[in-house]
Amino acid sequence: MEPILSRNFDQKTPLDLAGFRDRGGYASLNNILGRPRDELLQEVKDSGLRGCGGAGFPTGVKWGFLAKDAPHPVYLVINLDESEPGSCKDRQILYRDPHTIIEGVIASAYVLDADKAFVFVRGEYRSGAEGLEKAVQEAREAGYLGKNILGSGYSLDIDVHLSAGRYICGEETALLNALEGRRGNPRSKPPFPIVSGLWGQPTVVNNVETVSHVPYILTKGADWFKGQGINGGTGTHIYQVSGCVNKPGTFELPMGTTARELIYEHAGGLREGRELVAFQPGGTSTPFMLPEHLDIPLTWDGPSSVGSRLGTGGLIVMDDSICPIDYLINVVDFYAMESCGFCTPCRDGLPYLVHVMKKFEEGTATDKDLALVEELCDTIFPSTHCAHAPGAVMPVQGALKQFRHVFEAHIKNQCCTLQGGQ
Amino acid sequence: MTLNEQEIEHLKEHIGHYPEPRAGAIYCLYFVQDKYGYIPRESMDEVGELTGLSPVQLDEIITFYTLLRRRPVGRNLIRVCTNISCHTRGAKEVLAAAQEQSGVPLGEISEDGSVTVLPSICLGLCDRAPAALVNDDEVLGELTPDKIRDEMARYVSQAMNSTEASANGRLIATLKPQSQEPK
Repeated sequence: MEPILSRNFDQKTPLDLAGFRDRGGYASLNNILGRPRDELLQEVKDSGLRGCGGAGFPTGVKWGFLAKDAPHPVYLVINLDESEPGSCKDRQILYRDPHTIIEGVIASAYVLDADKAFVFVRGEYRSGAEGLEKAVQEAREAGYLGKNILGSGYSLDIDVHLSAGRYICGEETALLNALEGRRGNPRSKPPFPIVSGLWGQPTVVNNVETVSHVPYILTKGADWFKGQGINGGTGTHIYQVSGCVNKPGTFELPMGTTARELIYEHAGGLREGRELVAFQPGGTSTPFMLPEHLDIPLTWDGPSSVGSRLGTGGLIVMDDSICPIDYLINVVDFYAMESCGFCTPCRDGLPYLVHVMKKFEEGTATDKDLALVEELCDTIFPSTHCAHAPGAVMPVQGALKQFRHVFEAHIKNQCCTLQGGQ
Repeated sequence: MTLNEQEIEHLKEHIGHYPEPRAGAIYCLYFVQDKYGYIPRESMDEVGELTGLSPVQLDEIITFYTLLRRRPVGRNLIRVCTNISCHTRGAKEVLAAAQEQSGVPLGEISEDGSVTVLPSICLGLCDRAPAALVNDDEVLGELTPDKIRDEMARYVSQAMNSTEASANGRLIATLKPQSQEPK
């Protein structure tokens, strides 16, 4: 495997323009700008690249939805709002190699014939956004941005937009509202942003990692990209491992790497004397996978085969020092606090779910409460405007099957023998 | 007036990046917050004039976004992440130690004005859990209760050596919350 997104992570500080170019940066643009857009789009489709923000929708197919006669300006919005616990992989690219993002944005925007790109950065990454802004200025001065880029006739500029917090802003339509200076409430679809997005114009929203792959797919080819994956995976992916492991970290690896390799080789294994209970493969919204799933390749399809999702590829590991219910309370509480408040089942249902689950930890839960947890999940899941609440209850629904005995033991013993943390 | 002419020109220039002025609201609100440590009522009138938004519409934005605040905070705003990756590694104990060290409830300004401690949603520092973010840019990682106490002791000594500027150079209006609302 050839590391692409992390190829400059060996540097102590992010490369400036000169350093980035010395390592081959921006060279891809000479091969891309000026080529027929249909040909480039086909290459992206053939590569099998899928949205790395968690949804995994095929990027080339999404781009193909942009009408050929779409009214200009067309906007490209880069989603750098990753706020899901356990999923901060894109932070590494932002803080350690911002020019890689810019190169990816230019190549992607060219394929889409976009007129302007916004990089939407979560507020907590403020100093990263400042570094990216500096890199954008360097790129602008060197003629990689602005009018008639490298004499190709194509013009583009990038705005770095610093947001001000809130998980929901990572949802693509909520992000558009936030970018327009409104509350980040998700919008109804249709119309989809690709038809009517920012200020009513056609808008493509892509994750940072996704666009950062594009220049290398377009120069090295779809077959090369596909060949980077293993076990049926395509390309490379930035995985992250956090939670109960010895060496939490972020790793660019072939798509299709197994959780066993990630946890035990790259993340240093579990803490001494501890046993693996479960792991979430891609952030807190993904249902648990169990120790018997350690050898399933972490591809877009692998975790789905056991009722989970790859999500962002940010693994969170739970060992036997943590009570699964305590773990879930923390997860659902996050979603309860971050609900935008638009839908009642999400706004009121999630705090109620936390309240009922706390009864298990406090030792006051009865069989009725177990039934209530199930009923709440079943009621909340299909009843909301966006995927925020379903993301919150999916791990609980999985746990009701996988850890039902734990819920029942809490009722029977009227206590929790394991309290969270350490 | 809370903004001078030069600052207003700077904000107008930034707002011009967007097709609609209200898209520049977050930038303007951050700008004011950096200057005063929070967003005073008078500044909302000024930002409203620049962006075409009423104070109520601006409040609607401020109350939605976590990082914007209408109330003052201490010189050092310490956000301790409480979400799952940090939770599995002792965030609860770190937050408790930070609150105890501050001597006041979460969200309040310590007596000496040096710190405000807040629990935070995931800061994107899962690989350094348990983690905290100070003044939106200084990362504290691999925290323990002792380590957060030591870091906070450092802010107290900085506060004793400075009455005008915060640790990262941002100007804070005053230290006392009750006297911070501009007249």
